[in-house]
Amino acid sequence: MLSRGGAAAVTAMPAERDTPPPHASQPPGGGARIGTGDDPALVAQTLAGDRAAFGILVERYAAQARRVARAVLGDPDDADDAAQDGFLSALVKLVQYDSRRPFGPWLMRIVANAATDRRRRRNVRRAEPLDPALVGGGPRPDAAAVQSELGDRLRAALAELPERRQTAVVLFDVEGYSHAEIAGILRIPEGTVRSEVFHGRRRLRALLEDWKEQAK
Amino acid sequence: MKNPELFDHRPDPELGKALRAALEPSDHAAFVARVMANYDHALERATVPTWEVLASWFRPGVAAAIVALIAGFLFGRMVLNTGDTASIEMAMAPVEGPGLAALVTAPDPPDASVVFTSLVEPR
Repeated sequence: MLSRGGAAAVTAMPAERDTPPPHASQPPGGGARIGTGDDPALVAQTLAGDRAAFGILVERYAAQARRVARAVLGDPDDADDAAQDGFLSALVKLVQYDSRRPFGPWLMRIVANAATDRRRRRNVRRAEPLDPALVGGGPRPDAAAVQSELGDRLRAALAELPERRQTAVVLFDVEGYSHAEIAGILRIPEGTVRSEVFHGRRRLRALLEDWKEQAK
Repeated sequence: MKNPELFDHRPDPELGKALRAALEPSDHAAFVARVMANYDHALERATVPTWEVLASWFRPGVAAAIVALIAGFLFGRMVLNTGDTASIEMAMAPVEGPGLAALVTAPDPPDASVVFTSLVEPR
């Protein structure tokens, strides 16, 4: 069982490393992948009761977990709740983590499950696209407005995809996980992951191309 | 599938960047602080022994049992008072008529439900 005799609070957590050296299993030209070299050590420290070590893991994976949860849930507040559930669930289950395997996919599986559970509880089949008025908040420069509009459209398009497809595309193209790792996270065959990524991309790429045409 | 893109193993940097921007969360520090604020609570919930969980249900369980007992007693008393059955002997008395005759003359032992029906059916 996890010890609780660790440091009093999380302080001086390192900045998030969103652009580290590529992971060994990362496919060529992969997305932004988090450096994970000392994850097993941080897990061991957390298990020994070091609260700050868990804080570093949260700091490191927070953005990724929140993006994955948001891909599933759409709503940013729901996504944050699910990501938090995922982190705390991972904390409780940390003794089950196999330190010979990468920590990220293990954590993302828990986060994706938490998001799926929340989505089912919410009993909503399709995530609501964000109201552009809510995204704004006053006048903005044109470039930012255009970027925001693209974001709205991408989120809306993502929300129309089946849940597994949403997660697969985001894990592959945004988070840089390999097909094999995503297969482990989603517990589906690798060929199915390839298919899900392809079909998800086809829709999103078309939207992106349209947007680029319009922007010209 | 003939489309080679189906088995494209390379992430799409342009799409990835756009999606990342669309899904990018805000207020990172607040989220981390929120998770860590629940650190102790999560561990407390996970380390509560089973017997403590059971103990927490003891009082509600006893109260529910008492309520069920009282309700059963009241219901039983109501049923006994409203019925016009004179006595158990009367209820168990053999029934006259074809039903009884068929029961007695049958070559095989009767089914328990037949016996029960013969006792409770209206006379």
